[in-house]
Amino acid sequence: MKQSIRAKVLKERPVNQDGFINEWPEMGFIAMSGPYDPKPSVRIVNGCITELDGKKREEFDFIDQFIADHAIQISQAEASMQLTSLEIARKIVDINTSRKEVLKIVSGITPAKMSEVINYLNVVEMMMGMQKMRARKTPSIQAHITNLKDDPVQIAADAAEGALRGFREEETTVGVTRYAPFNAIALLIGSQAGRKGVLTQCAVEEATELELGIRGFTTYAETISVYGTEKVFIDGDDTPYSKAFLNAAYASRGLKTRFTSGAGSEVLMGAAEKKSMLYLEVRCLYVTKGAGSQGVQNGSVSCIGVAASVPAGIREVMGENLAAALLGLECASSNDQSFTNSDLRRSARTMLQFLPGTDFIFSGYAAEPNYDNLFAGSNFDAEDFDDYNVLQRDMQVDGGLRPVNDEEVIRVRRTAAKAIQAVFLYLGLPKITDEQVEAATYAHGSHDTESRDAAADLIAIEDMWKRGITGVDLVKALAESGFEELAESILNMLKQRVIGDYLQTSAILDETFKVCSGVNQPNDYAGPGTGYRLEGNRWEEIKAIPHIIDPDNF
Amino acid sequence: MQIDQKTMEQIISLVLKQIAGQTGGLADATAKNDNMSEHTFCEGYLPAKKSTNPKEVVIGVGPAFQSKIQHTINGLNLSEVLKNIKAGIEEEDMIPRVIKIQKTSDLCFMALEGAKLSGSGIGIGVQSKGTAVIHQKDLYPLSNLELFPQAPLMTLELYRAIGKNAAKYAKGEKVTPIMGKNDPMVRAKYQVKAALMHIKETEQINPDLPYIEWR
Repeated sequence: MKQSIRAKVLKERPVNQDGFINEWPEMGFIAMSGPYDPKPSVRIVNGCITELDGKKREEFDFIDQFIADHAIQISQAEASMQLTSLEIARKIVDINTSRKEVLKIVSGITPAKMSEVINYLNVVEMMMGMQKMRARKTPSIQAHITNLKDDPVQIAADAAEGALRGFREEETTVGVTRYAPFNAIALLIGSQAGRKGVLTQCAVEEATELELGIRGFTTYAETISVYGTEKVFIDGDDTPYSKAFLNAAYASRGLKTRFTSGAGSEVLMGAAEKKSMLYLEVRCLYVTKGAGSQGVQNGSVSCIGVAASVPAGIREVMGENLAAALLGLECASSNDQSFTNSDLRRSARTMLQFLPGTDFIFSGYAAEPNYDNLFAGSNFDAEDFDDYNVLQRDMQVDGGLRPVNDEEVIRVRRTAAKAIQAVFLYLGLPKITDEQVEAATYAHGSHDTESRDAAADLIAIEDMWKRGITGVDLVKALAESGFEELAESILNMLKQRVIGDYLQTSAILDETFKVCSGVNQPNDYAGPGTGYRLEGNRWEEIKAIPHIIDPDNF
Repeated sequence: MQIDQKTMEQIISLVLKQIAGQTGGLADATAKNDNMSEHTFCEGYLPAKKSTNPKEVVIGVGPAFQSKIQHTINGLNLSEVLKNIKAGIEEEDMIPRVIKIQKTSDLCFMALEGAKLSGSGIGIGVQSKGTAVIHQKDLYPLSNLELFPQAPLMTLELYRAIGKNAAKYAKGEKVTPIMGKNDPMVRAKYQVKAALMHIKETEQINPDLPYIEWR
């Protein structure tokens, strides 16, 4: 058949390079309403759940048992389960039903019921639900700070610029695992050089990540991963109980933590047990809640390529974000992974969280060019900063970022790079040269920086680890190298660990190190004229984008 | 020299064909009793033992490797992949040994199991879709020495470099890690394919089968 020229043009559009697949529930390739998903049910005998979603207690796998014993408010269950899923769905969008009331009802429903409720909502209703159910009144945003070389100088500079632009959490990871301590230190110091009170984490293997936290190199952790089927848990040598234990280990040292889960992980691991992505993710969220975590990073996250390949996949992603908020969990709503070649498609996907606002709209906006993003690319990157600022301005929506000028950017980048240079010198680590500082100050990405001797760095890291260097040593190093203000900030971040207030749901710190959380600043949205409104100084800040026509110049 | 190599390859391919023929026959025989025919075949292969030779680097491959799956996600022939990793190890005067791990399709676990059997304590894990990692016997399972998470970006040269670096770790040398590669669009293009290939590999898992000495 002769092909039309238009068909040829369309075929070459970026969206047609994306991977799409038809629904295939037997292998878990189904977003919502799976034909094999269980029907909701609960039976309680003597305060113990003996039947959950069609399964008798003796048929429970360890996820069912964990959920039955730890994640459902038993005193509320019978009343909540008597409501139809449609009734609950309507209460979620009804401005006359308060967030508190919805939380109470949802605390007593089962995973299959939650799944059914979410299935009743279209994406606009999900956004309305999120606007009301988000834990913290003010939305926020998290950055990824990484680079291909694992260069600590660039990490410090990018962290400082990210903080200046408004990110209140910053996450790094590594190309080479053994670099983790340097990355964590550079991120901790750099972030405080940009704006005070930014929380930082380094996503690596769990035991290493815990030790980084214990040493005071990080201030929160996010990558406690849970899964919706027993098989995937077992493959990772884990159970819901071991994850709960790890969560408690962080809490015992005063570190903020959240779990991570999302649609498609079970499909990708080949063990979806014919269930829909939504149902499996809901199970993960119940495990998260049952394990006592204050929050979750979800929204398919790194498996977004799978969720986005099936019909209604992006609707499912928003559905699972909402399910997290309905359970009272802090929701860091993904948007942190590239999944499409199409700029239209990636922007549209982000609007679902950007417009209503979530606790963290991005759980990793690439604050470096995507070629440097070691999470294999985020949905937005450093080259989209101005687009994002304009989107906030166009729609009068607070996405968490702000316009900046280059002079400020260069100043904080240089301070951060010089501070890490001084700390390395003080601690006897491989020298950071003035050329490295200068290059990182003006760099866009690692293509513009000076390379370091990786082998020498790795040997020094091993030695530093053995010497037992902690966050207190960093404070000393900064204070004795003339960076008193920065030393004070790092000390303040370490103090949070003792105070512990930032372990409350959805906590971030302001620039005076005061906690803003779902507890002292709860979301009070109840329809037009209520809740968080973008106005006053913050609106002025967002309006002031750099490239504006000056009428006086005509 | 070239003629020798060609002759060698012909002999190898004949032997391989013969082995393939045998496995087919035997698999059919066992098919009545259980679902063995659906699993990677292991009879005719020796169970893998722990070695004490400090010159050895083990390559642990996935359950579908060269049985159900012949090519990586970006079309590299798995025998070429193995040839290059081995060549990298041999360039450093070390000895490669390939072990098929049939109990798991998880990359880090297959590499770690390989490392534990390896005389040097260094192992390389390779999934059938091409994802690779260098591991060491005393590290946490999900930790590693070097990880190459984006299978679609792998090349034969890179596999050779992985073999070389693994051998250097085995010798206790100061090693400069291979510079990572990153394509931010890899998920959009390949994640569905990756899921399908991993499902195929996971279907081949049989926890009852021992680790075996592979080709």
